[in-house]
This record gives sequence, C-alpha cells and structure tokens, in this order.
Amino acid sequence: MMHAMRGTIVDKIRVLIVDDEIEFGEALAERLALRNFLPEIADSGSGGLEALEGGLHPDVILLDLKMPDMSGFDVLVEVKRKYPSIEVIMLTGHGAATGGIDSMERGAFDFIMKPVDLAELMEKIKLAYKKSISTS
Amino acid sequence: MADFLKKTRHFFFPFLGEDHTDGGYGRFRLMLYGAMFLISFTPLILATGLSSREHKKLLQIQEQEQLVSSIEGAQNTIEAFIHELQSMVRFVAGEYSYEELLEQGRISELFAHLKGQYPGFVDMGVIGPDGIQKKYAGPFRLEGYDYSEQDWYVKVLTRQLYISDVFMGFRKLPHFVIAVSNKLPGKEEYWVLRLSVDYETLANYVSTVNTRPSQDIFLVNNQGRLQTKSIIFGDILDMCPFFTHYKKGETVIHYSDYKGKKYLRSYVQIKNSPWMVVIVIEGYMYGEKWSSHRLRVRMIFLGCTVLILLVVVPLVNTITNRLQEADQNRNQAVIESQYTNKFASIGRLAAGVAHEINNPLAIIDQKAGLVTDLMEISEEFEHKDKLLHSVDGILTAVQRCKVITHRLLGFARRMDVAFEHIDVSDLINEVLGFLEGEALYSRIRFEKYFAENLPMVFSDRGQLQQIFLNIINNAIDAVGKDGLIVFSAELDNRTMVNIKIKDSGPGMSHETVKRIFDPFFTTKEAGKGTGLGLSITYGLVNKLGGKISVESKIGQGTTFSVCLPINDARNEGNYSG
Repeated sequence: MMHAMRGTIVDKIRVLIVDDEIEFGEALAERLALRNFLPEIADSGSGGLEALEGGLHPDVILLDLKMPDMSGFDVLVEVKRKYPSIEVIMLTGHGAATGGIDSMERGAFDFIMKPVDLAELMEKIKLAYKKSISTS
Repeated sequence: MADFLKKTRHFFFPFLGEDHTDGGYGRFRLMLYGAMFLISFTPLILATGLSSREHKKLLQIQEQEQLVSSIEGAQNTIEAFIHELQSMVRFVAGEYSYEELLEQGRISELFAHLKGQYPGFVDMGVIGPDGIQKKYAGPFRLEGYDYSEQDWYVKVLTRQLYISDVFMGFRKLPHFVIAVSNKLPGKEEYWVLRLSVDYETLANYVSTVNTRPSQDIFLVNNQGRLQTKSIIFGDILDMCPFFTHYKKGETVIHYSDYKGKKYLRSYVQIKNSPWMVVIVIEGYMYGEKWSSHRLRVRMIFLGCTVLILLVVVPLVNTITNRLQEADQNRNQAVIESQYTNKFASIGRLAAGVAHEINNPLAIIDQKAGLVTDLMEISEEFEHKDKLLHSVDGILTAVQRCKVITHRLLGFARRMDVAFEHIDVSDLINEVLGFLEGEALYSRIRFEKYFAENLPMVFSDRGQLQQIFLNIINNAIDAVGKDGLIVFSAELDNRTMVNIKIKDSGPGMSHETVKRIFDPFFTTKEAGKGTGLGLSITYGLVNKLGGKISVESKIGQGTTFSVCLPINDARNEGNYSG
C-alpha cells in the first residue's frame, strides 16, 4: 500500500518516507508538504522499493531502520544498488549511533534519531538533495 | 618487647586478632601448621630419641665393662698384697719358735728387718697361751696387755691365720692385725704372733690401684663400715650407704642414687680377708661423652627446628594466602559476572523500552507538530491560543521523554567496555542526570567544585557511570531529606584525577568503614541493599587502574575518593580487566 501526496511545484524536493509507523509517516509528510517539500509515503521496505520500481523517483528517501518485512539496511543496500543517485537518510528509534554509522558505511547520506527534530531533518534533507543533484 | 611479640604473633598466626569471619582460613592454617609440624617433627624426634637411647646403652655397656675390669684388677692386686703379708707372718711364725721370739733382742731385730721391707708394719708382738702379750716390738708400750678378750684373738686361735677389720684397739689409732697361732710343742696350748699394720699403708696401697681419677675406690668390711677413706661416702670407719647383701665370689654392679647423683657401683670380696673392694664412678650421664653427645643432639634438633620453622611458616602462609586469594578472586569474578549480567539485562530492558517508546513518541511529536503547523496557517478561532499553548505543552513533554529515552539507550549501549578520554565533570553531570528526580524529591543539593584545566581521564564511560551511580546512590540514601552532596575533582600526583564525593550524612563507625567494600556487607535494612554495590565498585575501580578509598566518622559524613588514571593504565600493567 502506498500513500502519495504530490506537491504542485516541480522544483520542490521530492522525499519518500519509508516507515511502518503510518501515523508517523503521514504526519511527517504533511508537515514537510507544508514546508514546500514533495513527500510520498511507503509503509514498508518492500512498499518503498515497489514505488521506486513503479517510476517514483524521489530526491531523498527517509528510511526507517527497523521494519517488520525488510530491515532498513536491506532496503538501503537495494536502493543504493539500483538508484545510486538517490540519497537516503536513516531514521532510527534505537538511539544508538552504531545503527546510523553502519548505515552510512552502506551508503546512507546521514542518520537522525526519533523523535526527529523537524528543523534538523529539513536541514539534512536539503544537504542530501544538494548532493543528489551534484551526483546525478 | 610487646611490639616484637605482636609482630611474631602476626608472622605465625596472621589471622589472630582479625575479624573472625575469615571464611575458615584461620582454622585451615592451624590444621596445615599441625600437619606440617607433625610430619616434620615426628621423624626428627624419633631419630634423635632412638639415637640417644642407643648411645646411652653403648655408654652404659662401656662403663660397666670398664668398671668390671677395674674392680677385678683391684681385687687381684689387693689379694696379692694380703697374700704377701700373710706369707711373711707365716714365715716368721714357722721359722722362729715361741721361746726364740720371747728374746727381746731377737724380736726387735726381726721387727726391724720386717719394717725395713714393709714400712707399714707398726709393731709386732708375741702373745702367750694366756692371752697376755709376752714380748713386744714397736712404738707403743703394749707388753703385758691382755688380749684374751679381744675379738681377733679368739678368732685367730680357731683359724690359725686371721686378718682383722681396721679398728682402733688399745693404741686408739686405726690399724689392722695379721695374726698367726702356733701350737706349743707337746702341749695343747697356742701362742700367737701378731703384726699390726697402719691403715694408712692399706689406704695408700688401695689408692695406688686406682688408675682413673674419676673413680672412688675403697674397702669396706662385711658390715659395710669403711676400711679406707672414700671420696664420696666419707672417712674411715664410717658406714657406707647402700651396702646391700652380698654373696661371696660375685662381682656386684649396679646403679644407685646418692645425694641427687646417679653412681655406678661395683664391689667384690677380697679372699682371706674381711674386706670387700668397692669402686664407685659417676654415671655415664655426667661423663664428657654423654654431655657432648647430648649437646650435639640438641644442636641438631635446634637446627632442624629452625630449618623446619623457616620452611613451614612461609610455606603454610603462602599456601593459605594463595588459597584465600584464589577464593576471593573467584568470588569476585562470580559477583562481577552476576552484576554485569544484571546490568546487561537492565540495559537490554532499557533499550527495548526506549525503542518501543521512541516510535509512538515520534508519532505524538509529529502529530502535535502538525497540529501546530495547521493552526498557525488557519484563521483565528476561539481558543486558538489556548490550543497552541496546549500543543506546546505536548511538544515539551515529548522533548522530556526524548531526553529520558536517549539517556536510557545511552546507558544500555555502554555495557561494552570501550576506553576513551572522558571529561570527569561531564561524566558526573551525566550520572546526576539519572538521579535528578530523586534528588529533587528529597530536596538534596549538589555542589560541584572541579579544578580548572582538569585533564581528561582515560577510562570506560559505562563502567565509570556504574561506579559513580553506586557511590552517589549510597550518598543520597545516607543524607536523606535536605542533605548536601559535594563533588570535587583535582589533579593528583600529575597522573591521576582524584574525584571526591562528600555527603552530609550521619557517617560510619570505624568497623563499618573497615568492611565497607566487603561483598554482602550492608548497613541498609533487609531487602534494601544486596551488599554488593560497593564491592563491585571497588572491583571496577581497580579494574580500570584506579584507586578507591573512604573516610568517615560518626556525625561528620562520609567522603569517597576515586582516583582515575589520566593515561592508558592498561599499558602500565595496572589494568586488570
């Protein structure tokens, strides 16, 4: 299942939120949309990969580390293998930096701990977007 | 002296005077001492005892043989002397008739001749059949004396030849008599030739027989009266003690005590005389051979004893200490392992709880954030500000929860040992963060005095957190409500940072301070403390190459000092982890 909220402005940063916590994803997506991002939501790792295969091409993916069907690591590896230009920011509820550092070693742009600070998150999304533009 | 005794006691019995809860090591040490001394001293005592016994037997046999040889020699010599005297008297009595000897000139000439040969002869007399001395040659005026009632006179008539005991007689001087009786020709009457001998002659003769200065040789008569002077038992005619029944012909030898000394005594009858020759020597135990043997045995025993003590005492102490140390290390390891497992379980639980809370917390955070966002873009409506304020309250609460869950996760992930440079004041603040709520509730004040430019310590953050959590928890328990806990840190000896935690609690007695780091020792009520906290803390500080100490007095609070190394203690061999 995939929920999409498409923005209306073309040059807005496209963000795919992959998190099994739908309520979290929806709220975050709405808040990002209010701040001129173009967010889309997938409620599982496999859902996120399907969306990408279905033609969705976000600039940045916000990827939860711990999900029931596929772990964030596996999704990250798959994304970086198939879509290396898309930057991924990991979301983790662990509080442990090790998960984030491991993710960055696998190609993640950065990581941020839940509950997320929106300003910090937007800052990281923008930086990731810049990197994505420069590499694509 | 008292100090020396104390040190000696501590050397042999280090467990005495200490706490009796020593886990039975004192008893074990005593048993080990007993066993070691038993297996060391038993053969030593047996060997020295048997050696002494055999040596004593040899000495006894030797001295008995020597004595028998001496007494037989003395017997033969004295018998030869007596025989010679008897022969001489017999010769005179056989050569000269009664009538010839009644001539004064003849008897005087004969006596002078005899005295020339034996100066011991004192006088000579011829006694008629009526017992009256008819003629006399000698220094006394004894002619005409009646001997018919004298004991020796009666005996010589029946025995023909008789030698008397030493006696005083008419002259009142000790002497003895050799007398021969002869029958008057054609009559049934007897005349007697008597020669008296000065006892000095006898005594001198006996003394010349003595070849060993250590022995006492003398003569006694059959009643036990001394016939010559004895060095040990007294003068002539005194009674000799210990005179026992004697069978003729036997050489008697036996030990007897006299005036606290043990003597070996031997005596044998002198043939044709009323005397026995006696030789007395001091027992073997007063001899040089025995005393030197005994000295040697004692020296060997003493030497072996010292050697045994020098070996056994350190050996027993080492074995017991090693055993005690091994047991303590094992106990400490078990306790640490239990404690670590407990912490790890708590850590895992904390991590699980924090993670599970973080997700809904993130939802609340975003939902509340969204509400704020929407309200900010919407037009004014009733209670809008109040709602915004309420949502702010929700967001603030979320932030507080976030801090708590992150702290819990931080605590959990520090179960693994990782050395790093740590700012002591940051660390203390971090630990206090866990305890803020409790401190607030009990109105406990924290004061911090950290020296400026304090270097960082090189240690493990997780273990330091445990160490200070334990100490501060104890301090919080000690101060109760409205208490004060003062933290200070300063450089110590340029290699360590000394962190002091002083509380305003009631303090501890000297006995409590002595046992404060012992496992399972607690002053808290039953069920409130395991008694492991400070024991573990002690083990952790040592493991990190640091030192922990405590100072406390009743009524003056307690101060814990934790010294932590600035440099990597693991490279200096201090780290025991």
